[in-house]
Amino acid sequence: MSHAIQNIVIVGGGTAGWITAGRIAAKHKANPDITVTLIESPSISIIGVGEGTWPTMRNTLMKMGISETDFMRECDATFKQGAKFAKWVDGTPNDFYYHPLMLPQGFNKVDLPPYWQTEFGHHSFSDAVCFQEQVCEQGLAPKLITTAEYASVANYAYHLNAGKFAEFLKKHCVKNLNVTHILGDVISVNSADNGDIKSVTTQQQGEIAGDLFVDCTGFASLLLGQHLQVPFVDKSNVLFIDTAIAAQVPYEHEDSPIASHTISTGQSAGWIWDIGLVHRRGTGYVYSSKHTSHDQAEQVLRNYIGTAAKDLSFRKIPISSGHRKLFWKNNCVAVGLSAGFLEPLEASALVLVELSAEMIAEQLPACREVMDITAKRFNETFLYRWDRIVDFLKLHYILSKRSDNTFWSDNRNPDTIPDSLKELMQLWRYRSPSNCDFTSNNEVFPAASYQYVLYGMGFKMDSAFIKQPLTEQRIAAEQLTQNANAIKKALAMLPKNRELMKKIHEYGFATV
Amino acid sequence: MSNLIALNQQAHQAIRINTQTVEAQASQLNMVPVVLSEFLKLAVQFPIGFTKNKDTGRFVCVALFGFQESENLFVKNQHWDALYLPLQIRRQPFFLGNSEQSDDQFVVCIDSSHKSIEQKNSDAVSETEAIFDREGNATPYLENVKAILAELLNGEATTQVFIKTLAELKLLQPMQLEITFANGESTRVEGIYTINEVRLQNLSNDEIAGLHQQNYLAPIYTMIASIGHIYGLVDRKNKRSAGE
Repeated sequence: MSHAIQNIVIVGGGTAGWITAGRIAAKHKANPDITVTLIESPSISIIGVGEGTWPTMRNTLMKMGISETDFMRECDATFKQGAKFAKWVDGTPNDFYYHPLMLPQGFNKVDLPPYWQTEFGHHSFSDAVCFQEQVCEQGLAPKLITTAEYASVANYAYHLNAGKFAEFLKKHCVKNLNVTHILGDVISVNSADNGDIKSVTTQQQGEIAGDLFVDCTGFASLLLGQHLQVPFVDKSNVLFIDTAIAAQVPYEHEDSPIASHTISTGQSAGWIWDIGLVHRRGTGYVYSSKHTSHDQAEQVLRNYIGTAAKDLSFRKIPISSGHRKLFWKNNCVAVGLSAGFLEPLEASALVLVELSAEMIAEQLPACREVMDITAKRFNETFLYRWDRIVDFLKLHYILSKRSDNTFWSDNRNPDTIPDSLKELMQLWRYRSPSNCDFTSNNEVFPAASYQYVLYGMGFKMDSAFIKQPLTEQRIAAEQLTQNANAIKKALAMLPKNRELMKKIHEYGFATV
Repeated sequence: MSNLIALNQQAHQAIRINTQTVEAQASQLNMVPVVLSEFLKLAVQFPIGFTKNKDTGRFVCVALFGFQESENLFVKNQHWDALYLPLQIRRQPFFLGNSEQSDDQFVVCIDSSHKSIEQKNSDAVSETEAIFDREGNATPYLENVKAILAELLNGEATTQVFIKTLAELKLLQPMQLEITFANGESTRVEGIYTINEVRLQNLSNDEIAGLHQQNYLAPIYTMIASIGHIYGLVDRKNKRSAGE
């Protein structure tokens, strides 16, 4: 008789816990045998720094049956149309490029980078091939009030208040998705004979048994790391950032513009994030403590914020770059910080939560006998994803020409660059990043993202090689013209980001 | 620019309204907002659908006259070829404005820059209507306009409740329509929403009973039937392109 997987127990009530609970409960709503229980500690507060998302979040919310209007109103959420990287190339005032959320114009018709480099190389790549850069530069929203919820004119993700988001998801999961919410501190994890977790004992609610345990306990990694002893794979030899200092900055006026993109500004020993929510901005300096002192870092952040900094409180958060060697062991799978963390340069934290929750919900093993197969697949999939994210984050650093601190030259040291990234860089001397470089079903970043960062950082292909195959000038020129027209059209049509936010709060989006 | 001022017997004693100009002013409209109480009359000729208010994103009911902005296929040489004109057109150049005394009270206003306004002593040959008689009383014409404004005021509120009910039942859907005209031109109808008939058929008995009790079934089916007039619009467009 096989042991059916019916009772899912999630330990931890941050965004990771509630997204996982919501996705599993929504997917299996029609099956009364499957129960989802979330145990949240009444004494541990959530980290709640993760304020940037990917466009995948729209699908995640939709799958849980959430109204976009409700979500945006209750989580102080705003639109994010990509990231602006300032002062990453040489640190001069006009040094910036964009990683927008849309493919280059005609991406599937023609390989634009060789044409761009040959004929339009003086013009920023992201601006030449994508209309979203101008939309962001003008502070415009990615849609209109008449656009249906979750639909877009320009592709978008969100910036959100992580604390409010966890509360919002909790309410939705308990009220609409039948998730059982238990307040309790886990004081022991109890094993079965085969090494599985049989139950957890809470101080307040006693023993809680389950068939599958999801570890969402944050950096503590209580179940997977501490109890099952899965080791941590340190990535600090590749990504040096190990500390964050964060501050919430109020807007100057109630009506101050809201940037519709994340702003990431390179600093001497790391970079500063700047994320605009409805009522405040979230800022923070992530830095390498080997390359600067905390006092210096705080001063850098204060200088960035300006005069408003004098009344603000600053919070220090230690960061360990890396991930667990396995994410799913026995009947326990880790989601969120318990699985690992990397600097928030490309907002990879929440997207990994979403991808993990999706895979668990959709491939929930029917019985214990097949769980190890699912676990093996899960581990292969996510090890691949973490490696690709590490490569992609490192790509942002290796092309910088900055020399104001050894932070930047150390980042360019070949010994710190993964071999997989070195190989790609070799290939890209002669051609642009293409889908053939990223052939797994489990890719996180598409080839287009690599193009935006590579050419944004000023990388050039070997011009002797790229001149030969230029046989599609007409199609390439057409795409660049179409992009110029798309820019004009978008600028004429889209409202200011702040203006649309007000309308969302006053009227909301229709569902169609 | 419109210039809205409260109607005043002394100030407006001498003016007359040219009703032909009022109707001709609508020649640039491809749709107007309509209210539930006029659905049956509208449905004789016009498709009735929903569209979103550009400023608020909220749905309104509209009668359709054309496919593109400023295309009115019912107006030819400044004359309406229609059996019924929507209230929203006939009320021009009058509006209801909030009274200074109270937000619940309304006063009749006039758009003093509207082209349909003529002075009494002008030797206009066209049909014009006085709004006040010699004694300073409202003329039957003005009384009729007031009735239209009142019907619109009440109608907008009840139509909003109707739309809200339909939206909550997920009965609205974007119209998917690509039309190729006789001259080979094609257009995609965008921004128009209709009743989702499949969803309507799948409503529960309780939901249907709720719609029945609110008297919403008649306007729902009127809207569904009226959408067939899209083909009448295509025919008008083809004839217009052919120069008939």
